[in-house]
Amino acid sequence: MKKNVIWRTIVVFMLASMLVSACAPAATPAPTAEPAKPAEPTKAAEPAAAEPTKAPEPTKAEAAAPTAAGEFTFGIVMVGPYNDHGWSEASYLAGQYVEKMVPGTKMIYIDKVNSADRPGTTGDQLAEELVSKGAKLIVFNSDDFKDASVEFKKNNPTIPVLHISGDLAWKDGKNYKEMEGYSNLMSQMEYGEMIGGCAAALTTQTGKIGYVGPLINDETRRFANATYLGAKHCWETYAKKDPKDLKMKVTWIGFWFNIPGVTADPSTVSDDFLNSGHDVLISALDTMEALVQTKKAVDGGKKAWAVAYDYKDACNEAPDVCLGVRYFNWGPGYVKAVKAVMDGSFKSYWEWAAPDWKDINNPDTSAMGFNKGKGLSEENAKNLDAFIGELAGGLNLWTGPIKWQDGTDFLKDGEKATDQQIWYQPQLLEGIEGLSVAP
Amino acid sequence: MKSGSRWYRFGIQVAAVVLALVFTSIILLIAKAQPLEAYKNILVGSFSSIEAITNVIVVWIPLLLASAGALVTFTAGLWNIGIEGQITLGAISTTLVLRLLQHSDVSPAIIIFLAVLSGFIGGALWAALAGALKTYGGVNEIFGGLGLNFVATAMTIWLIFGPWKRPGIGSMSGTEPFANTLWLPTIPGLRLSWWSLLIGILALVLVYVLLSNTHFGLKLKAVGKNRKAASVFGIPTSNFMMSAFLICGGLAGLAGALQVLAVYHRLIPSISSGYGYLGLMVGMLINYQAIWAAPVAFFFAALNFGSIQLPIVMKLDSSLSGVLQGALVLFVLMMDGVRKRFEKKA
Amino acid sequence: MKVELRSIHKYFGPVHANNNISLTILPGTIQGIVGENGAGKSTLMKILSGFIQADEGEILLDDQVITIHSPSDALKRGIGMLHQDPLDFPPMKVIDNLLIGQEGGLFPNKRKVAADIKKLANQFGFSIDTEAYVEGLTVGERQQLEIIRLLWMGARILILDEPTTGISASQKEKLFETLTRLASEGMIVIFVSHKLEEIETLCHRAAVFRGGLLVGEAIQPYHTDDLVRLMFGKPMELGSRLGCHSEENVVEIHNLEIEDPRLHIRDVDLDVKAGEVIGLAGMEGSGQRLFLRALGGLLATTGRTKLLVKGHDLTHEPYSSYLKTGVAYVPADRMEEGLIPGLTLKEHFILTGDTKKLFIDQEESLHRTKVKISEFNIKGRPDSYVEELSGGNQQRALLALLNEPLSLVLLEHPSRGLDLESTIWLWEKLKERCKTGTAVIFISSDLEQILHYSDRILVFFGGKVSKPMLAAETNVDQLGQLIGGKGFVN
Ligand SMILES: Nc1ncnc2c1ncn2[C@@H]1O[C@H](COP(=O)(O)OP(=O)(O)OP(=O)(O)O)[C@@H](O)[C@H]1O
Ligand SMILES: [Mg+2]
Repeated sequence: MKKNVIWRTIVVFMLASMLVSACAPAATPAPTAEPAKPAEPTKAAEPAAAEPTKAPEPTKAEAAAPTAAGEFTFGIVMVGPYNDHGWSEASYLAGQYVEKMVPGTKMIYIDKVNSADRPGTTGDQLAEELVSKGAKLIVFNSDDFKDASVEFKKNNPTIPVLHISGDLAWKDGKNYKEMEGYSNLMSQMEYGEMIGGCAAALTTQTGKIGYVGPLINDETRRFANATYLGAKHCWETYAKKDPKDLKMKVTWIGFWFNIPGVTADPSTVSDDFLNSGHDVLISALDTMEALVQTKKAVDGGKKAWAVAYDYKDACNEAPDVCLGVRYFNWGPGYVKAVKAVMDGSFKSYWEWAAPDWKDINNPDTSAMGFNKGKGLSEENAKNLDAFIGELAGGLNLWTGPIKWQDGTDFLKDGEKATDQQIWYQPQLLEGIEGLSVAP
Repeated sequence: MKSGSRWYRFGIQVAAVVLALVFTSIILLIAKAQPLEAYKNILVGSFSSIEAITNVIVVWIPLLLASAGALVTFTAGLWNIGIEGQITLGAISTTLVLRLLQHSDVSPAIIIFLAVLSGFIGGALWAALAGALKTYGGVNEIFGGLGLNFVATAMTIWLIFGPWKRPGIGSMSGTEPFANTLWLPTIPGLRLSWWSLLIGILALVLVYVLLSNTHFGLKLKAVGKNRKAASVFGIPTSNFMMSAFLICGGLAGLAGALQVLAVYHRLIPSISSGYGYLGLMVGMLINYQAIWAAPVAFFFAALNFGSIQLPIVMKLDSSLSGVLQGALVLFVLMMDGVRKRFEKKA
Repeated sequence: MKVELRSIHKYFGPVHANNNISLTILPGTIQGIVGENGAGKSTLMKILSGFIQADEGEILLDDQVITIHSPSDALKRGIGMLHQDPLDFPPMKVIDNLLIGQEGGLFPNKRKVAADIKKLANQFGFSIDTEAYVEGLTVGERQQLEIIRLLWMGARILILDEPTTGISASQKEKLFETLTRLASEGMIVIFVSHKLEEIETLCHRAAVFRGGLLVGEAIQPYHTDDLVRLMFGKPMELGSRLGCHSEENVVEIHNLEIEDPRLHIRDVDLDVKAGEVIGLAGMEGSGQRLFLRALGGLLATTGRTKLLVKGHDLTHEPYSSYLKTGVAYVPADRMEEGLIPGLTLKEHFILTGDTKKLFIDQEESLHRTKVKISEFNIKGRPDSYVEELSGGNQQRALLALLNEPLSLVLLEHPSRGLDLESTIWLWEKLKERCKTGTAVIFISSDLEQILHYSDRILVFFGGKVSKPMLAAETNVDQLGQLIGGKGFVN
């Protein structure tokens, strides 16, 4: 009898902890995010931070306040935690940007929308929750919501949808689907990738770059390939080295961020890179394991650097090893969508938003940017700027000859890629080590 | 005496619920949140509209199946912690059948029927594994079950990233969604499928009848209460334990099948959604009484679904519902212990 | 130390188990407690030893009113109780069982404890293997272990609730010797028993319970008839030997061989006639239980064993075939093997009834249960949980669960926990079965009973088995010698 009671108690604890942990495995990014918070106020005083940004204030009171009459509420469905210092936080910042730029608007959001963090729910269902809280526009912030956004649109035809990073609204795309009030927005991050690749190639001493990739699809292959093109260009043009000596390897973890037990562990992936002679890591994840692990390695005596992703202040996590961050600036795109919905002109469109080549870091005009990090030497920074200048001047790295990984032609000599060719990339490029498709 | 003690027991249960609420409130206060507001939000979130209520029912159905299964194994004195994995295997088996037949000429209704059946069988077989480990290998079902849960997750991931990956994509987010024709039809405009609801309720009723009114159920209970004596009574205890595992696994498998057919329409990594663990908690909370499974599971489902409001409205983590559920079970068990002590003295 | 109980009342629902009991026990006394089944003896003992609490009344220890909250509380005050059904942790070693109850010391000195226990056990002539697993011990051995444990834990008031069921005559003698010595040292012994001769030889005083009341007290020397009359309200007479066997063989045993880590039984041949009663005598653990279990299909035999029941060869058959052939086994540890705590009487009767149909016929089974309850005079309701029944009533339930017709009934200590009247009644019941051709084989540590009711007797010693003896032609002394090992050739 006694024994039974003890068993029961043990089992309850086990079950409870399983449940609580099952509900929040992505609490993992949260802890890394939390300690970084206090750094934010000081950051403003730090000259290294390129852009004086508003710290993302926890907006508890504001969010809980009921929607006032006449206010326009838009909802964001985020795949990761709103404060992940990565992909989802970039969306969160954009939401705040909208609130600032378009008076009378209010953001509501639900974050961590993935089956591991919110078991038993679906993206479209949670979007409906936002609608029931007054949202008049739903932004799905991840490629992962492609199906959910369609399902949502089907069941809620009157609510405008902005799906980030998809192609369903692209009339000339492969997957066009006619849906009224369903739009896509994606930044031309290829350029950011090229710049990041360039910074990596300029800095690497071993000639080995490790690319910590998320899952495998057209988009992620596109970005990995762009990185490689940027790296190769700078390796030849600025470092004046033989392209044969440049090695780039991609390892995919299986999702946009770490889901313990489900994806490969990005920390382990990073460590493996660092331990096998790769001295620059490029993160393509929503979270910052690559940067963190690099810093650990450097603290342990290694010479290594990392390129961060997604969120403009990501370098703050480990400034000294950070070569820079290519980041999304969704603000202008969001503002455009919100304004359109507000004045009733929201239509189905597909926007592949370009950087503002006059100043790629202009928060009001550029869809993406690159924030140099402290880890980038002065000389390399100069070369990087030169490269950005080249791009601004019209340099097109998607110019043949370029071969696929399997040796077949992507672009013949002198051939320039079409938008479709850039968007839909079936393989990694020749010269990149790693899986082009899932095994 | 009888009715008096029933009221008394009821009072004790109420006290346990109150204690659990107090406990959770303290945690909320520590997290600097208003407990009352949090509870209000959960309630509103679960019951404010027909959509919300049907969404709660969507959660309720797999929970019902898992709880009903848990009851069967509890009765046999077994902690089938492997329900989670059994749900997963049910989902995998269902997906398998759907994938095999989706492009064939077989009519969708038959495909769906076969898929549900296959889910049942898949879950049952997975449970049989835990059962065999327990009855023939002497491996405690808790450890066996936990191990098999991990294996089941690993299998899902392997399938999603490997053989069943979406064309050109390598992502953990799930397999290619099935065509609409292979979805269990839902009530127009809602997420609830009458079929799922029917299966869930039928399963619970069957389990209730099985446990309370059949010789099989009574024998199962005998095995659970005193295995040695049961075998002296001529009950083949190993067979009965295996049957309990099979039934429980089958029901869990059905839950998995419905998750695929009516909720996600594809296989995703955490298709079991923690319902297995939650189902066990429900089983413990109701102390083997099948009658209570429906309302308690509904309550848990409402907590699960309503707690989505917390991150939206209050920026609180929704795993709070897990805390509240855990606290409930703990306090109910604790108060039960207190009551027993008390009754002994009285 | 002096114990005084004042106006103790205890209710279990509608049952008034103790009704205004007052009893004073002086230091150095061995106090006997007798009374019919369900009279409230165990209840009072449990109150004194802290397992349950009285609803009304006071307990005084050396004229001080005390409240006893729990068994460990009682033990702290020097009150220790040996239960009717041992309360130990079967899957553990003896030594660990001992250490569990011990206070203090995170790292117990196992060796010293083991030595202490050995020493104590020797004083009583018990042999206790501290490294053995408790589940391997017989009920008797477990009782011995419990007595030793209580003394070792410093009990000054020792309550023994029917301790003598499982132990042999010589062990009993040793036990009584020790109890007497303990009493002479000023300890109090409270001794609950149904065996009046034990009360007569051992106890200084005896209190008689009936229907929850303390109906009388007696002091040495007793008049047995008076005690019996106090207990039952009428005098009692033992029934006669059943003597109803025929010439037809029900059971044939050839070359029976059983291997057990402790014993090796070999080459037993025996034919049992329909209606015959065979008694198995011997010290606990001499092999009679193994023998009985093997006949019941609960233990595998080895070697060239051949076992036929009603002509069916059951040698390597599963237990279910034994059941089908009409072999029934009534174990001694009734709460572990015999009954299922947590199930009601009715549920037990459903289980032993016809279970082939899918659904339970609730009405039919309720009716059957009621019939059985009244037929076997069980103090309990159909929805009583078996663990709520008094020891004797559990035993009755156990017997009531036997199906009919049966070819062979195997009983371990059938009268364990039964009062005199019930014992007589039990044998009447068995006699009815014998008349219909059922053979009975039983184990008992009560030689009188064996001699009185058996047709033939087998004596076990260290795994050896004597030739069957006609009960009518032997006597207690002869049996006693055989039990002690004299007369066994190798
Ligand atoms: N836990 C319980 N719940 C309900 N009734 C009980 C409980 N324990 C004992 N009783 C009832 O109280 C009465 C006295 O029981 P008790 O065990 O004291 O009898 P006893 O004198 O020890 O009998 P026996 O000689 O058979 O052991 C019985 O009628 C029994 O059914
Ligand atoms: Mg008793």
